[in-house]
Amino acid sequence: MADTAIRTEQLVKTYGRSRGLAGLDLEVRRGEVYGFLGPNGAGKTTTIRLLLDLIRPTSGTISVLGLDPRRDGVALRRKVGYLAGDFVVDGRQTGRELLTYLGNLRGGVRRQRVDELAARLDLDLGRRIKSLSKGNRQKVGVVQAFMHDPELLVLDEPTSGLDPFLQQVFVTMVHEAKAAGQTAFMSSHVMGEVQHTADRVGIIREGRLVTVEGVEALRERAVRNVEIHFETPVPADEFAALPGVSGVHADGTVLRCRLDGRADPLVKAASRYTVLSLLSEEPDLEELFFTYYRDGKTADAA
Amino acid sequence: MLRNVFTKTLWDGRRSLLGWAIAIAAVGAMYAAFWPTVNTPQMQDAMRNYPQAVLEAFNYNDLASAAGYVGSSVYGLLIPLLVAVFAIAYGTRALAGDEEAGTLDLLLAHPVSRVRTALSRFAALCTALAVVGAVLLLAMLAISGPADLGSITPGEFAAATLQLVLFGALLGALAFAVGAATGRKALAIGVTAGVAVLGYLANGVFPQVRGLAWTRDVSPWHWYLGGEPLKNGLQVGDSLLLLGVTVVLVLCGTWLFNRRDVAV
Repeated sequence: MADTAIRTEQLVKTYGRSRGLAGLDLEVRRGEVYGFLGPNGAGKTTTIRLLLDLIRPTSGTISVLGLDPRRDGVALRRKVGYLAGDFVVDGRQTGRELLTYLGNLRGGVRRQRVDELAARLDLDLGRRIKSLSKGNRQKVGVVQAFMHDPELLVLDEPTSGLDPFLQQVFVTMVHEAKAAGQTAFMSSHVMGEVQHTADRVGIIREGRLVTVEGVEALRERAVRNVEIHFETPVPADEFAALPGVSGVHADGTVLRCRLDGRADPLVKAASRYTVLSLLSEEPDLEELFFTYYRDGKTADAA
Repeated sequence: MLRNVFTKTLWDGRRSLLGWAIAIAAVGAMYAAFWPTVNTPQMQDAMRNYPQAVLEAFNYNDLASAAGYVGSSVYGLLIPLLVAVFAIAYGTRALAGDEEAGTLDLLLAHPVSRVRTALSRFAALCTALAVVGAVLLLAMLAISGPADLGSITPGEFAAATLQLVLFGALLGALAFAVGAATGRKALAIGVTAGVAVLGYLANGVFPQVRGLAWTRDVSPWHWYLGGEPLKNGLQVGDSLLLLGVTVVLVLCGTWLFNRRDVAV
């Protein structure tokens, strides 16, 4: 148990109009960054709110950092930093006032640490929160989640509303947290948000975990477009027959194709000719996820 | 003031508290200041011409003495109404308002228990009501000399004000409890306002109908005013009843709040 940060077994939550969860088995290891992916309404936020004891499971068990959220909620939440995708607070207070209050609820947080985070995110803590843009409000949320260096970061679609530069800063912050031994559990409905931070991703669909994979393994499997420039024209047929290669199109000395899986056979085949340049696009993991989203069963078989 | 949930709640409500405390004290003092005008033979005659039922419906039971006048005009209708509105708003905001605004999640994701959060919020409401009561009491004591209210002792003013605060606490507790149990602001306000109005009618109007006299005994208005604390001093039984119901409501609300899901 010591190396498990989050474990749920047969977690079920049925409530109201929402679908909730239908038997979720989740295991997040200590020290890893876990991307929790799924379309809107799949049960991501429900899962997160169960972890924090904001809602209670219909059945099943939850253990977070070895604690039961229901019984040891206060002790558990002391070790957790939580950021919701839509960070809403009373706008009449300044960022500084809010963070001081929230820090006090945690028994005090070093002001220096708060200032450091605010400076990194380029956030003015002296302004009233209602006068801030959505992105700047979200920054206040980021600071409160990170400021006490929690053992576990629970981040629900954390970078929504942040501009690309700040998303980059955020990625760095998550990397640093991981380097410091912290665990991060990050939900998102797009791969791009967790692709650069997560070690593993779990995909949830209609309240169940469809698959859990290492990001590297996914990257290896994803389809990518490859373009090879040769010194002399090459026969297209020779490449079309290779495993994992499709959509071959030879235009004189330029060969374009789609590569699914390992690059090895293609590279070995190409090496028989003189290669001038080789261009391989970053794999489009998003596309892979759409197949999971659309049909969980196909993804299971893959 | 940012130390914990209790102080933060008071701090967030400071402007509203200041406004209400001053307004309630001002209205109370203004009405009390009319006593010399009311206490004239012409005015007393005029009042006697009103049907007794109408006077009772407005808690105007006895306008011939200073205690009777202040008891009906200040403590009988307008002031408890203002205190009730203040307490209901505060009690609704305590949990349901926060929950509907979506701001309760963040607080409860921190290392505070739900029970502690709920009780801290209600404690803030009680403190705010105590401030309102204290300001009103000071205003009444200050006006008592100039307005010829010397026949009412400071102890009797204090007793009436304390029972007023307990009355407000009860209605605040009901709004708090309904909000805590359901998370719904409109329901909390609706139920409590309904109880306040029915309780008022049960105290002054229903008992005039034969067979409905018993309704008076279950009215918080009666527990507050029935013993005429302004004439007779603190009514221990009534006060304990107000206090007891308040405690039960707060405990029930907190218990239900601790068991349920918090809305997104």
